[in-house]
This record gives sequence, structure tokens and C-alpha cells, in this order.
Amino acid sequence: MDHIEIKKGHNIRISGLPIGNPVSVPMSETVAIYPYEFQGVKPKLMIKEGEKVMLGSPLFFDKSQPKVRWPSPANGIVQSIHFGARRVIKKIEISVIGDDAVEGPVYTKEKLYDLNREDILKIILDANLFPIIRQRPFNKVANPMDKPRDIFVSAINTAPLSVDLDQVLYLEKNNFQIGVTALSRLVGKDIFVTLKKDSKIIDISDATIQTITHLHPGGNVGIQIHNSRPIKPGDIIWTVDAQNVISLGKLFLTGKYDTKRILSIAGPGTSNPQFVSSNVGSSIKSLIVNQEFDLPVRLISGDVLTGVKKDPDEFLGFYDTAITILPDIVERPFMGMLQLGSSKTKYSLINAFLSFGRTLFEFNTSQNGEERAMVPIDAWEKVLPMDILPNALFRAILAEDIEEMEKLGIWECDDEDFALCSFACPSKIDVGNVIRKGLNLMGSEG
Amino acid sequence: MHWLRKYLDKIAPNFEHGGKLERLGPLYEATDTILFSTDIRTKSGPHIRDSVDIKRVMILVVISLLPCYLFGALNVGYQYSNAIGVNRTWIENLINGIFIIMPIIAVTFVSGAFWEILFALIRRHPISEGFLVTCALIPLTLPPSIPLWQVVIATSFGIVIGKEIFGGVGMNIFNPALTARAFLYFTYPAQISGDKVWVVSPDGFSGATALSIPAGKTDANAVDLLNEATASMVFDYSWNNMFMGWIPGSIGETNKWLIILSALFLILVGITNWRIMVASVAGLLITALIMNLFSNYSNNSMLTIPPHYHLVMGSFLFGIVFMATEPVTGAHTNSGRWIYGFLIGVLTVIIRSINPAYPEGIMLAILLMNAFAPLIDYFVIQGNIKKRMLRYAQ
Repeated sequence: MDHIEIKKGHNIRISGLPIGNPVSVPMSETVAIYPYEFQGVKPKLMIKEGEKVMLGSPLFFDKSQPKVRWPSPANGIVQSIHFGARRVIKKIEISVIGDDAVEGPVYTKEKLYDLNREDILKIILDANLFPIIRQRPFNKVANPMDKPRDIFVSAINTAPLSVDLDQVLYLEKNNFQIGVTALSRLVGKDIFVTLKKDSKIIDISDATIQTITHLHPGGNVGIQIHNSRPIKPGDIIWTVDAQNVISLGKLFLTGKYDTKRILSIAGPGTSNPQFVSSNVGSSIKSLIVNQEFDLPVRLISGDVLTGVKKDPDEFLGFYDTAITILPDIVERPFMGMLQLGSSKTKYSLINAFLSFGRTLFEFNTSQNGEERAMVPIDAWEKVLPMDILPNALFRAILAEDIEEMEKLGIWECDDEDFALCSFACPSKIDVGNVIRKGLNLMGSEG
Repeated sequence: MHWLRKYLDKIAPNFEHGGKLERLGPLYEATDTILFSTDIRTKSGPHIRDSVDIKRVMILVVISLLPCYLFGALNVGYQYSNAIGVNRTWIENLINGIFIIMPIIAVTFVSGAFWEILFALIRRHPISEGFLVTCALIPLTLPPSIPLWQVVIATSFGIVIGKEIFGGVGMNIFNPALTARAFLYFTYPAQISGDKVWVVSPDGFSGATALSIPAGKTDANAVDLLNEATASMVFDYSWNNMFMGWIPGSIGETNKWLIILSALFLILVGITNWRIMVASVAGLLITALIMNLFSNYSNNSMLTIPPHYHLVMGSFLFGIVFMATEPVTGAHTNSGRWIYGFLIGVLTVIIRSINPAYPEGIMLAILLMNAFAPLIDYFVIQGNIKKRMLRYAQ
């Protein structure tokens, strides 16, 4: 078993980390899916408002890959379909009634070995569950026609305030194992599963197990690929979130789409940080029932580095496993730039303030400065555990120099891996966003 | 400070888009955010950010320069009383020194701020804090006797040609403060080189810098020349005293141990790169040793300066701590920084020793390496690409 040792990175000491076992929250009365959230997908609706849908029945498909369809996260009636500018499908809301589900064939682990790639693919596509598989480069929904070089699953979560995946997977070990076995049949060999060092599920089979230092962004699958079997131009790697592997396992064992998710409701803005057991597409309102807010807060679907700002009457993103809550008040101290600072008022990766110690910090939504031109004091390099020169790549992207971007390794990059660079940047440059622009440029140039 | 905040909020609409003072927006923004930390919030992406911003980075550099200012004033006052042969207390020297250097500082900041604000208003970009550091550096590199009108011209040249025409902080190729000094050096050499400018006194006292003593001399050992100078003049050119900084020189560069302290401070807070400093010192020491080896075959006295004397003579330490480490104009990669720093050390000794017309080499060495930094980075980046291409080929 290989261990990936990474030295660059940072675990942000943010307050509001939940402890204890997941609690159940009541099922959301409505659930939703956001078709525009999926990179590069051209959605075509398969349902109309007022139509009845079942858990797992298809809601829309991708015009460029009609086989890839998205599952309804609940049984019920399509309550509303929201369109944005140029008829972009923003949101499909479903009011939940009962729990009828589309049912498919049932398998045991032994039977899985009799299935070949095509069989497995057909089962996943028929269950409309294919969108759980994403691909690198681009970090978009995979194309079922592709033959991926490898499949990677990250079973370690290093993002701030995230769910302890190892515990979740330990409790669902059997389902996870079936999911892993099914995925391994897709590539005809072991898939890569990355765990934390003292993991309780080290004996998963049909997988090449590796461990990685618990240092963010080490839990990101892109960092794990880069540090074990880096992507070359033309390579396609499929990745599946660990909790979706559990869903996949349950699909094979029960024939039904299981939407259960363990989520963390966390952050300095929470009154009662907790892990909750809920479902894909749940309304944010239903997830924060146990929270009380005295002051304005920002609700984020996903982790604090890569999540999306949402209103309380919106819904959890398809791949998200956290609701992060930040106080949305920013004070303006007099002569702030001259303050000595303390561990209560300032948080920095460099020693620019008198903020020592390991205390947890109450972050708010302040950008802590205005955007400026890049001043390379190595803030990005220190938190990027990749053999990539972020500064050079950044400038190649700004110059739209496709050839240079490729040479500098953009195929191996994804915006989520650069989120910490944006966090640390003294010039307040959103590095991740620029990386995403670069990837889009690579995509549009074919 | 509540009333000030209220007042700023009240006048804010005038400077916003469509307001009657819209053109002065950058000026309002700068005043507003210097007085009160900004309340800009994250829009997407990382919703939380590190507390450090460019304002803080720049102000820390300025803070690290304060000891040099204080000692500079003290030394200028001390050299003044030394020259006229009066024994004064250190507090008198300090006050006298402050009176001499204050006008230089004031003139630098006023002319620097003028250009920075003018460019920001015309080009409608925010006023950058970088000019604070540039303006804080310029006076320290000048002799205390510098005419104020020359300071104005030099600062203007440094800010406009050294920085603004490239697009401002972050886009410039040459260190603006050094550009300003180099401008003076080549246009008005009489006021920034020679023996007459380093000590302010009523009747133009001759006080050579340590480097100019062996410069141009032949068939003599540099240390002997310094000892002779110590005996015949009122200045002490012993190694210890040069380290302590009680010698004629530019305002901020003479005290080496304070510069070392500032360097440690900058490294500790994490905004400057130690690799450049270490590499420069290594380059200087090694080249000086090589020069010593060649001194038997030449009559140039500069070749006999021992490596540890090179360290404390002239502005080498000041240059590598505050100028060479400037992140924008230096190399941007860590491997590049080793090469960049090392070559600065090498070039400093070469310029000092081989060309007696320029006894101080650090300024030209840094400017020259500023020009080469992108090339060094280019090769480092190509190295990274080559490694990746080899992996792709497997």
C-alpha cells in the first residue's frame, strides 16, 4: 500500500466543526436539481410541470450524450421548472409524495464478477445514475463512450468542516465495497481508492488502496491523481465521490436509487453545528432546522472554499455534502492595516499579525482587502501540493496561450485544487476561477 | 472615529459611478480603505480569505525600514558634528539628522504620491500601496547632501518610468526605487558620487565611503588603505565600525546589523524570500575569494578586499535585503531565485573590483539582474515543462 506524503497545503482552522453522530432531519417537502450546475451539459427536459415522477426516474438528458440522464431525487410531482436567461434550465423542483422508486435488477457481489463493462454501464445508465461519474480533465460529467485509463475514488475529506468520510464508509462498508467492485468491472482492473492513514476500511478489495497525508487539498481527487498516476494529454480518468459509491453499491444490491447523504452543517455562523443524515437535493431550509441565527449569515451549499452561495429557500447541490454557514457582517476597524492583530481578529498563513496559537477562527465573508495585481510572495506555491508552477500557468491562461497552458500541465488541474491559492492570495485574486477559465478555453478549442 | 466613518459614508455617493466627483473615485477609495479596512465581501469561490492583503504586506516593509531611518538620522547628525569637530550627545545628533533628512523624505513622498494619484485618476485604477514602499526606499539610498530638486526629479522618474508606464505595481520590470537612484547616478553624478556628498556639513566636508578608498588605487592592500584612512581622517573604517554603521554613506545603508535585523523580521513575517539573500551573500563571498586569488596578478587594490569586508562595505546588504528581494522584479520561481541572487552577489563584486569608476556595484547588479530575471524564470519553467514532457513520453 502506497502512502502519498504531501507537505504543501493548509488545514484552515475554522470554527463551527460538528461533533458526534449524524442526526436525522425531517425529509424535505420539496427537493430540487439544478441542471445548469453541470459543467458542459446541454440539458433537454423529459418531464413537464405537474407531471408525476418516481425516485430515480429521468428528469432530463444531455443533448450531446442522450444516454446520460439525470435521476429524480424523490417520488412526487414536478412542482416547477425555472428558466434563466436564454432558456437555461436553472432548477427543477419536485414536491415529495411517498417513496415509490424505479426498481431495477438486484445483484450480489459474486454475481457482479459475471458482468462485463457493457452490462455494468447499462445498469448505471438505465438507473439514470451515470451523472455521479465525473471525469478529469475538466471535472465534468463523464462520457459513457469513453474508456477511462483509471477510476479514482477519494475516501478522505480534507476540506474545512467536512464530514469524516472514513466513519461514514465504515458504517456503509458493504455498500461501498459493492460500488467499488462495480466500478472495477467498468475498467476491468482495480480502481484507486485513497484513504486516510489510520483508516478503518483498509481491507476494501478490487481496489488499489493508497493513503495520503491529512492536509488540504490532499483529499481532493485531483491532487491524489497527480501524486500517484498523473494525467497525460489524452488520458481520461473517471472519479466518483465516496458517498455516491455507496449509492451505486445500493443500486446493485437493492435495484433502487438511494439518495441518502451524510452532510455537515457547519461553520462559524451555525448555532448548533451538526452532522445530519439527509438526502440529495434537499431544501436548505430542511437542513438548517436546528440552527438559529441572530445576525445575517451566508448559506453555502458545499464547503467554504468551493461551495456556492444559496438562499434558504434553495436546495443542496447534486454533489455537495455540506452546508457551510458564515456570519455575513464585515466590520471596518480604524487603521486596520496597522493593527497588530491577535488570534481572535486575524488569520493568516504568514506571520503578518500577532496571531499565534492553534485556536479556531471565526471567519466571516470579508475579502480582507481589495483586489490588486499579482505580487508573487509564494502564497500560492505554499498551498499547492502539485508539480505545477501556478504563477506561470496563471499567466499563460491570461495570455490565452493554449500551447503553453498544455505544457504547464493544465490537464491535471481543476479549480477546486486551486481554491486554497485564492484563499491565501494577498492580492485577493481568484486563482481557481482563472484555472476554470483556462480549462473552458481548452475545452472550446477542442 | 465614528464621526469620521459617518462623514466618509456621507460623501461616498459623490465618488461613485455617476457622482459629480466620479473622476476622483480612486482617491476616495484609497483614503477610505487606508483609514478603515475595506468591507468588500467575497462573491464566490473561497468564501473566506486570509487576513493579509497587499496593504499589510507593503506596510510591513515600510515598518522594517524604520530602524534604518532612525539610525540614518542619527548617523547623519553624528557625521555632521564629526566633520565640524564638535562633540554632541546622541540626542542632539539625532535631532540634527532628522532636520537634514526630513525634507528629503517629505519631498520624496509628495512627488511620489503626486504621480501615483495622477496615474490612478487618469487611468481609473485604484491607487496602489506599492508607492509607499518605493518612496520609503528612495531617501535611504541617497546621500544626505542631495539637492531636493534632484530628489523630485529622481522620484518622478522612478515612479513614472520605473513603474507607471508598465501599468503600475506588479507589472514593472525594474525596481522603481533603484531606477530613481540610477537616474540620479547617471544624470547628476557630482551630487551622488565622489567624496564630497556623504557628509553634510557647513563647508563641504570630504568624507569618502569605504568603497571609494581603495577604488582606483594600485599596488596596495585594501585593508591597509582603510586603516591608513582611519588614521588620517576623522572616520573609522575598521570592520567593526563599518558593521556598526558610523561611517559616511547613503542615509539608510550604513548600519549593517540593523539591516540584518530587518531582514530577519521580513523573513519571519514571511513576505520576503530568504533564498535571494542567502544566494547573494554566497555569490559575493565566493567571487570576492576568487578576486583575492587574482590579486597577485594585478595591481588593482580592489581585488585585495577580503570577502568579509565586501559584506560591510557599501550598500550590498541594504540592496539585497530591500531591493533584490522585491517580489515583482525579481525571479518568480524558487530555483530561479537562487540563480538570480547568486548572480547579484557575483556581479556586485565584479562591478566594484573591475571598474573603479563604479565603486558601488550593488545598484547596477540588481538592475541588471532585474532585466535577466524573466530569462532565468523562462529556463526554470522550461525545466518544469521538460520534466512533464518526459513523463508524457513514457
